[in-house]
Amino acid sequence: MFAEELKAFRRLGVRGVLVQLLNFASVIASGLMMWKGLGLLTNTESPIVVVLSGSMEPAFYRGDLLFLTNPPNVPYQTGDITVYKVPGSPIPIVHRILETRGIVRNAPKSAIAQDVADGQKSAVLRAVEGQEVEQLLLTKGDNNPIDDVDLYNGLDWLERRHVVGKVRGFLPYIGYVTIAMNDHPNLKYLLLGVLGLFALIQRE
Amino acid sequence: MNANLNGLLEGKIDFEGQKLVETITRVALVVLSVISFIVGFALQSLQVTFGIFSAGSIALVLLIVPPWPIYNSHPVQWLPSLPPTSSSIKS
Amino acid sequence: MHSLYARLNNFSAFLSSCLMGLLAAIALSSFLFTAEPKGELTLASVKVFPGSSRRMPTVKQEFTFVNFNISADLTPLFHWNTKQLFVYLQAEYVDSKGVQNDVVLWDSIIRRKQDAVLNIAGRNKYVFRDLSRSFRNAQAANYTLRYNLMPYVGVLTYGEAGRTSEPVPFPEPETVS
Repeated sequence: MFAEELKAFRRLGVRGVLVQLLNFASVIASGLMMWKGLGLLTNTESPIVVVLSGSMEPAFYRGDLLFLTNPPNVPYQTGDITVYKVPGSPIPIVHRILETRGIVRNAPKSAIAQDVADGQKSAVLRAVEGQEVEQLLLTKGDNNPIDDVDLYNGLDWLERRHVVGKVRGFLPYIGYVTIAMNDHPNLKYLLLGVLGLFALIQRE
Repeated sequence: MNANLNGLLEGKIDFEGQKLVETITRVALVVLSVISFIVGFALQSLQVTFGIFSAGSIALVLLIVPPWPIYNSHPVQWLPSLPPTSSSIKS
Repeated sequence: MHSLYARLNNFSAFLSSCLMGLLAAIALSSFLFTAEPKGELTLASVKVFPGSSRRMPTVKQEFTFVNFNISADLTPLFHWNTKQLFVYLQAEYVDSKGVQNDVVLWDSIIRRKQDAVLNIAGRNKYVFRDLSRSFRNAQAANYTLRYNLMPYVGVLTYGEAGRTSEPVPFPEPETVS
């Protein structure tokens, strides 16, 4: 059955095979460019995420797709749905902001200039000239009875730098494929195998 | 028996049929999308929209995928085969 | 288009494009609905009680209890692309250090148009405390009723449905004997 495909390969020659690989690589590269470009536009490392848990039901179910933005230097508000990552825990969590507070940090002028340059991670609200206010957040999942403090790995409040972005848009069901593949890794290998086979067999 | 199964799985239709199927697919899907959006919007129900869209898609699949005889009504006219001559074998 | 597979392939590819277009159209149609319903929010009482933090029982803390009345008709927000309405009552105040604090005291999820007429006398669902553990020098608070419209597909929108007419100051803590 593969004799015909192998013959086609031999006809292509080394350069032919290399050109195929180059096509393959350029498809992957442009996909990666678009993803990273979108990340730059929205100022977040992960502009599109899939909902993994049921803690935001009935709004978000497992497998829904969320579109995030992270506007720099704009304070987050209560009611915003944020995706955040607690240090020490690799899984991002999608929950709604329950409280916003702030603490004042007295900072000399040079330090402020430094912070603004480093810029994107900490949202700085100017309370008084010469002082900075750092935002502190408390979150809670709509479907959870209590707030998230137990999830913060020792912290009492989330800081702006822990937040990946806030949810602006929503698309249902589409992400279910990624969840199915995570729950059944054999599916992932099967899909990759089939795609690889097709990529090799097709000549266009 | 094997040849029959292969023929069945391949579902060949002639060239006129292929053109027809292509046109039907494009036009019908666009019209279906527009109609399901408009009717759903008028009735303010997303269920209506997706109901019409799914029903229409299934009907469309049944219409264009199986090799109905209509698609085979212009079979290719092959020229009559020529008897082999000794000059063509030499090269 | 010469085989079953080719026709099916072609069909499903075009089907996905049409489906994406349909979803985009539905998401865009949300922008045609620009209702901004307004309701009324009044506070029946605001009281401050001393107590202890639930996580560290030896630490003293002041808690504020709010009883409120809400009446609002949010039905204009329900259109074909409205999946649910997340309604929440929040207190906005400037604390003793001069920093803006927003605290959500109560929330509710509305999933059907019939349930969207609110006539509620409630009290805060969530603990209302201050970072400095005392409300003594906090400025008067504005209480607002806000909502988040979550669509079936598209952009999430926010709005404000009511506000107390003037800022409500925090009273002195009650003495508990």
